[in-house]
Amino acid sequence: MAAPRSWVLWSFCCRGRSRLLPGCRLPGLRSSWPRGPLGARPLSQEKRATGTHFGFETVSEEEKGGKVYQVFESVAKKYDVMNDMMSLGIHRVWKDLLLWKMRPFPGTQLLDVAGGTGDIAFRFLNYVQAQHQRKEKRQLRAQQNLSWEEIAKKYQNEEDSLGGSHVMVCDINKEMLKIGKQKARAQGYKAGLAWVLGDAEELPFDDDKFDVYTIAFGIRNVTHIDRALQEAHRVLKPGGRFLCLEFSQVNNPLVSRLYDVYSFQVIPVLGEVIAGDWKSYQYLVESIRQFPSQEEFKEMIEDAGFQKVTYENLTSGIVAIHSGFKL
Amino acid sequence: MATLLRGVLRPLRAFPSRPRPAADVPLRATSHGAGLLYPEHIPTSPLQKALLAAGSAGMALYDPYRHDMVAVLGETTGCRTLKVLRDRMRRDPEGAQILQERPRISLSTLDLGKLRSLPEGSLGREYLRFLDVNRVSPDTRAPTRFVDDEELAYVIQRYREVHDMLHTLLGMPTNILGEIVVKWFEAVQTGLPMCILGALFGPIQLSAQSLQALVSKLIPWAVQNARRAPCVLNLYYERRWEQPLKALRQELSITEPPVHIQGPA
Repeated sequence: MAAPRSWVLWSFCCRGRSRLLPGCRLPGLRSSWPRGPLGARPLSQEKRATGTHFGFETVSEEEKGGKVYQVFESVAKKYDVMNDMMSLGIHRVWKDLLLWKMRPFPGTQLLDVAGGTGDIAFRFLNYVQAQHQRKEKRQLRAQQNLSWEEIAKKYQNEEDSLGGSHVMVCDINKEMLKIGKQKARAQGYKAGLAWVLGDAEELPFDDDKFDVYTIAFGIRNVTHIDRALQEAHRVLKPGGRFLCLEFSQVNNPLVSRLYDVYSFQVIPVLGEVIAGDWKSYQYLVESIRQFPSQEEFKEMIEDAGFQKVTYENLTSGIVAIHSGFKL
Repeated sequence: MATLLRGVLRPLRAFPSRPRPAADVPLRATSHGAGLLYPEHIPTSPLQKALLAAGSAGMALYDPYRHDMVAVLGETTGCRTLKVLRDRMRRDPEGAQILQERPRISLSTLDLGKLRSLPEGSLGREYLRFLDVNRVSPDTRAPTRFVDDEELAYVIQRYREVHDMLHTLLGMPTNILGEIVVKWFEAVQTGLPMCILGALFGPIQLSAQSLQALVSKLIPWAVQNARRAPCVLNLYYERRWEQPLKALRQELSITEPPVHIQGPA
């Protein structure tokens, strides 16, 4: 797509969907556009009263945000333990696969949305640090004839072990961020990490800022997924990559049956026994069923303006990684 | 360019925020709206009850401070026994009245001022003293969630609220030894599997000295009294606050404990 988009044609497409996109505006007017929480959407007034799903319940759209907040507030402390118990540790492999798909190089600016307890952020930091170290070693090997002064200088400099990489962890829930910060302190992650309280539907960042945007197991909790996707498109630099790791539809009928039994019979029980919270984990498994299928979600991502959108199923489709580029 | 065209040619995309039909998820529990027998009810399948029973038993042994796990164990395993208890209550006139009127013992329903003004030695006064000395409150009981019958849910709730009364009647404090003695009494009286399991597995954590006192004196005393006494769930305690404790004990054929157990400091 040509860089200077036709504003008129674009807004025509937007009005065809009966809402105003806050993301599309002429470059010069960026700062003057009013950005209240619900203010800039006059055409969607009549949609205010519509309901949405909260698991299998129907709630109003305003309620859903609050209810999701409460769920994560109560599960925050046991979030990681429960993840391990429920997925039998497989969630670690899924997150590792997301990083391998991303293949960040030192210098990447990552935005991890709904990244609460920091799993993706920490993996990213480990990865770029390992990459950077490998690069340094290669450089050293190529320059075996360094003088002793240069070697001493290398040891003296507090070199940036991440090579300029940075990850911004953004989450709407204070409790999850708190747990994430505690983990970072405990595991010794300091450099290249920032924690921001923010809403995926209205990110507190400027346009064209990040190289990669990830959202792992977070987008199904967002009330308006389309808005979150548009925000993702906005904050990414041209050439930036969108990556989403999320529970999806299982494609194998046998696995699907077993998965259903496990989800609905075992997971709430685990939640009750380990975390003392049945209802949050009931919400979790129901929200997975409410999320669109791989193909539908791919189309939603394309609608937000991403190109070369692909998805990869993991574990027979229990989880899928969707990837798109802002070109 | 391609995206623009796609945007134009695909108007009014219906974003899938509609709830999925229930048909493709056959085993979900109906946890919202219809199917709830009482406000806190969570319907569970037999498999879920079995898993809950096993999990809560394990967790209660692993972490004795998880009182909610003991409660869940009681709810998931007590199905048949609760029916027996309910029938026993129905047959007794006072018990039937309790089932009808469904009184609850909580700080909001108790008139603490009135109880404090009662004479020494009365049930009400002694109950209040028990609450103060042991620093407990009747409001810390978890609500019933996994019982699939609304009357039985009340029966088990009543049993939990009467538990403190039993402490007062038996003169047992709320430390682990006192709790085990009360559990033995309840196990014989009610037959609830949770009480039996608690009575059998509770002593695992006791010291040898306490265990010796327990086995030689306290358990036989508790069992003897439990067999002699009528069903304790049939007492309308809320109407008996003024009754002297001694008289009530005589009515229930409960004797003084053979060993005085020191309460928590």
